[in-house]
Amino acid sequence: MKLYIKNFSSYVSDKEDIDIKKTLKQKYKYDTRRQDSFIHLAVYGAKLLQDKTDIKSDDEFYLTSGVGNIDVVQRTNTAVYENNEQLKLFDFINLLGNTTSYYVASAIGIKGKNIFQISNNFTYINTLISAYASIRNSKKDAIVCAIDLVNEPDEVTKRVLGVDESCEVLSGVNYQKISLDREDAIAELEFDAKIYSLEEIKAQLVYNDNKVQMCETKRFETMLGYNVNQAINRCDDMVFVECFEDKYKILRLKSLR
Amino acid sequence: MADIHILGSEILSCGGNLIQTLQKVKNQEEMLSFRDGISFYSFEKHIEQNQKNIYNALRQLVANIVTKIPQNKKKSTAVLLGTSIIDWYLVDAINSCAYEYKKTSYSSQKTSIDSYAQELLSEFELGSFSMSINTACTSSANALLEASNLIECGVAEYVIAIGLEVYSPLMSDGFSKMELISDTHAKPFDKNRDGLVLGEALGAILVGREDSAWSLLGGFSNCNSATITSVGASGDECVEVIEEALKKTALTPKDITAIKAHATGSLSNDEAEINAISRVFESGVDFTALKPYIGHTIGASGVVEIALFMACIDDGFIPKTMFCDESILDGYKPIKEHKSCNGGIFMCNYFGFGGNNISLILEKKI
Repeated sequence: MKLYIKNFSSYVSDKEDIDIKKTLKQKYKYDTRRQDSFIHLAVYGAKLLQDKTDIKSDDEFYLTSGVGNIDVVQRTNTAVYENNEQLKLFDFINLLGNTTSYYVASAIGIKGKNIFQISNNFTYINTLISAYASIRNSKKDAIVCAIDLVNEPDEVTKRVLGVDESCEVLSGVNYQKISLDREDAIAELEFDAKIYSLEEIKAQLVYNDNKVQMCETKRFETMLGYNVNQAINRCDDMVFVECFEDKYKILRLKSLR
Repeated sequence: MADIHILGSEILSCGGNLIQTLQKVKNQEEMLSFRDGISFYSFEKHIEQNQKNIYNALRQLVANIVTKIPQNKKKSTAVLLGTSIIDWYLVDAINSCAYEYKKTSYSSQKTSIDSYAQELLSEFELGSFSMSINTACTSSANALLEASNLIECGVAEYVIAIGLEVYSPLMSDGFSKMELISDTHAKPFDKNRDGLVLGEALGAILVGREDSAWSLLGGFSNCNSATITSVGASGDECVEVIEEALKKTALTPKDITAIKAHATGSLSNDEAEINAISRVFESGVDFTALKPYIGHTIGASGVVEIALFMACIDDGFIPKTMFCDESILDGYKPIKEHKSCNGGIFMCNYFGFGGNNISLILEKKI
């Protein structure tokens, strides 16, 4: 499967820690009411992408996350089950996963297909696979968003990620506009649905011996989306090996700039 | 979309399994009950919201479906789950460390709402691809459309599309706060309708290229609505998905034998939907609603209502729409009595919360 990246945007909280809600209101004149931090983060990343590229109303939209909107789940759980308070109407609305994708679509004027989806592992590559399978039929372009928000305490996130307690986790959002059309593309992505064994991966590592780097784990589920964007930014080619238990997937990125 | 066939289906609803529910629909038996003092279509035996109980129920459901997959194709089978339930793994993690008095020692395991699908893949020795989709009322209908895309591009040869919705006090409370719940019955398209009635259900549909009587001809899905909670009264957004679904399948409105409407019984959604039907189809078109039988099963409704609708056609009838005495639109009334039908081309519509709308078109060869 081959996809072309037309443009990208990234925001990660350790690189530039900004007040996202304030920025959305001041820079983009965006109405942030009735929303929460997870939605603001998703909308902010989308606005950054829209600053750089043309987004069409019939573009498809795929949003994936490792943990989802932890902010509203925790707030609701605390209010209703710990403090015996009433469920707030907009907390209920924001509990539904597609509320975030609705707000993003509205913010950047997309009226096409819109899917909020999570895979327990390989969620970014699996989202690329389903986006590829869809736009192959529809002949549209798609926007892919990988997002995760760390809440307080960050231990909640670590517990559902399957990571060591000492692992640092950070919030981030990474967007790409993808297409089957190579024209004006800045990078090419190649991937498949195959699960590779460790032996097959070792062969890849030997072949790429002098360039192998370990990625930072702190960006967790958005890590691959982040690394794709970083490689494009540096005009690098990249082979990314993602691992879950004893299963591996490979994604290849080729810079076209 | 060429040659995507429906090879098997199973549900668990307030009426029991697929055969039991079909019989109750056929006999127009009352299946409504109560949970926490409000009208609700409940499983006979409650499934409490925790991971183990939900997974066990899914496992029993999928066990029947898996037998229809050839042994040598199991590794080419994916699972797509559509649901709007809260991620209980996340709730457990919150309870384990966010409140001092409940705190437990640190332990960590990769989990997500997709863990159910992953466990099903592992337990039944299927392939590796799973995905869980949350687009509210359209979740499992979208899973079915995504399933056909995955087969078409060769990612999987078979896909089990699952719909999952289990009773949640938060969900019931949320819908109540939005003043969308009826105290009595859902009365789709009726002048006296006063809201929807929620229900719980599980459903699974197996799709693949192997020949069978039922085909998924195609469909169209998008996200477009005036507000986050409902589509506009004119039905513009519904017309768009209906017309695009017809275009995708190279069909005209006259080719459609009957429509399974979304038909929640809510004031605004029903008005938009019937206006859309009237703008695309001629007066007298057959359309019906299943929610008065099994409730609005939110994320599960896509797969569950299609499975039940197919079972009715296989049994020789289009089910009547209960509780609609006087339609809100002259000339467009859902069918009043079960209507004899053994096959044809059927449109199944879902117009959901958060602007997610989808229209799927199925065919049963006579």
